[in-house]
Amino acid sequence: MKKSHILSAVAGAALAFSTVSAFAQDFKIGLSNGWVGSEWRTQMIDEAKAAAEAWKEKGVNVTVEVQSANVDVPGQIAHVRNFISAGVDAIIINPNSPTAFDPVFAQAKEAGILVIATDAEVSSPDALYVGIDQKAWGAAGAEWLARTLDGKGNVVAINGVAGHPANEMRVAGYKEVFAQHPDIKVVNEVNANWDQAQGQQAMQNLLATYPDINGVWVQDGMAAGAWKSIMDAGKTDSIAATGEIRKDFIDLWTKDKLNSGASVNPPGVMASALNVAVLMLQGKELKEPAEAGQYKNAMYLPIPFIDSSNLEEAAKQLEGKPGYYSYTSALSIEDAEALFK
Amino acid sequence: MASIEAPARPRSSSAVKRAFERYPFLPALIILVVLIALNGWFQPRSLSLAGMTGLIKTYLALMLLAVAQTYVIYAGDIDLSAGAIVSLVNVVIVGVMAQWGGDGATIVAALAIGLATGLACGIVNGIVVAALRLQAIVATFATSIFFTGLALYIQPVAGTPAPTAFWRTYGGRILEIPFVFYVAVLFAILLVVLVRTRLSLRLLAVGDGQQEAYQSGLPVTAIRMGGYALCGVFAALAAFCITGDTASGDPLVGGKMTLFSIAAVVLGGSALAGGYGTVVGSVIGALIIGFINSLVFFVGTPSEWQNLVQGVAILLALMAGVLVGRRARA
Repeated sequence: MKKSHILSAVAGAALAFSTVSAFAQDFKIGLSNGWVGSEWRTQMIDEAKAAAEAWKEKGVNVTVEVQSANVDVPGQIAHVRNFISAGVDAIIINPNSPTAFDPVFAQAKEAGILVIATDAEVSSPDALYVGIDQKAWGAAGAEWLARTLDGKGNVVAINGVAGHPANEMRVAGYKEVFAQHPDIKVVNEVNANWDQAQGQQAMQNLLATYPDINGVWVQDGMAAGAWKSIMDAGKTDSIAATGEIRKDFIDLWTKDKLNSGASVNPPGVMASALNVAVLMLQGKELKEPAEAGQYKNAMYLPIPFIDSSNLEEAAKQLEGKPGYYSYTSALSIEDAEALFK
Repeated sequence: MASIEAPARPRSSSAVKRAFERYPFLPALIILVVLIALNGWFQPRSLSLAGMTGLIKTYLALMLLAVAQTYVIYAGDIDLSAGAIVSLVNVVIVGVMAQWGGDGATIVAALAIGLATGLACGIVNGIVVAALRLQAIVATFATSIFFTGLALYIQPVAGTPAPTAFWRTYGGRILEIPFVFYVAVLFAILLVVLVRTRLSLRLLAVGDGQQEAYQSGLPVTAIRMGGYALCGVFAALAAFCITGDTASGDPLVGGKMTLFSIAAVVLGGSALAGGYGTVVGSVIGALIIGFINSLVFFVGTPSEWQNLVQGVAILLALMAGVLVGRRARA
């Protein structure tokens, strides 16, 4: 069974290769990013550019045009319109709003442009979402925490921006997991707005209020802040807390042997989306249509998880990178091809 | 107003001078034409019908908000809450449409409520600035926080969708002509009518010198309040366009537009100190900002530099406008 799968994938790849080498293909893809507040976004775009470059070896010429700036929603709609004017074949967007792009995506589709959202889901039926399931991301951290605590103990949660769609999905994810463990008690939940300093402050307050905390569920950069407070309080040995994926933290984690585990939202999601986009532009069809998620237009990517068992591997990937560089993963061209008929 | 007809055969230099005096937006118009040409040079398709439709759809809201801001600036005031009013009206109309179903009649009702909301916000601004005599820049900054807070109370998270009928109409076509072109024509007619009203003239008179206006018997407080009320109404119209273009409610959608609206007014040749300016200039100013934003992309600016180049380009446009205006009038 498995063998035949591999065989067909290989055959498919060979077929694709032969057709493209006969007719050199040219695709123009627009990348839009509406917020430049973190290195994660920069890395996301750099990886997508590299992914486009990698198609050259397959005889496919993928040029990317990038619009990345701090803009409001109308400003990012202007990004999309510029791409339509520039006559791109596909648009890949990390959207600033889940719903506001419905009309402009409809226009893009009318113009025959493939639209893929990544990192944040969109409601538009004219677009596809290629990225991780934020709810599963939240659940993965909670499962690790529940396992590490042997299913019992006092837990606090430090969340991002209240009302932000990704935050709400992540929160729903950990709530579902903790609900299955009756002996795990969530004693408090606070918002620290995805800010490292606020995360540190929140953790300090929580440690002062609840001296008997066993576990902390915390997201992204706030985890580095929370861990700083835990270490300052001398509770490194008695508390298990989720971590994050930047090199600085991974190094700290390795050095101080923290009891941590981190769900990975890899900056490579845009590169994955790009590979999927190119295959779709080649006219290939997905084996399973993208119909997941609340908007029925999502194709979820696997979510890597870092814990003590594979920490060394993660550290190795980040060797020599700057401290803000995030652990990453993306669908390679071959991985992506395997998803298509 | 008396010099509507230029003399038959004026000396050319004084004719130019007079033209620039009479139409303070001429430098802006020249910059706009240059920008349009550059856009067309770097991306011919940006000047196609579809490209222009897209541009109007995107920047109609900013044009309306720039006009809103102009009426306040005429009188030497300023409105830092204009963007917050856009956000508030946006969530109000989307909320009402979602509550009442979203057929034709409720959409019209929702728009009426939105207009009333904008007007009410404008009157609140007018009261704190003109009647209570608080400094306009600080008072409207405070009301902007208040309006944003109200919007967040009505809809804490971005996302409620607007009825399909609403945004399909806004983004669609009537008799093969894109709907936004009808909106643009209506907008132009509205501006022509408003230019001929007593209020715009009186606002300019107040901006020229409050003391003199008061001494010559003008009801200065009422006039300034009228400016803010008009600003609120136009901010509501801008919110309609945003809602048509984004098809959803977002309590923070207009926040960043405030300073752009002020920049558009200044780019259009109006004086921030009041007493001098045109709404046409502000519309052109908004278009200049739009064309600069798209040009930055079409010339192929690397993504790391896009914000920076945008800022520099707006600065250059501002300087060019001032220099051309000064040279021509001198």
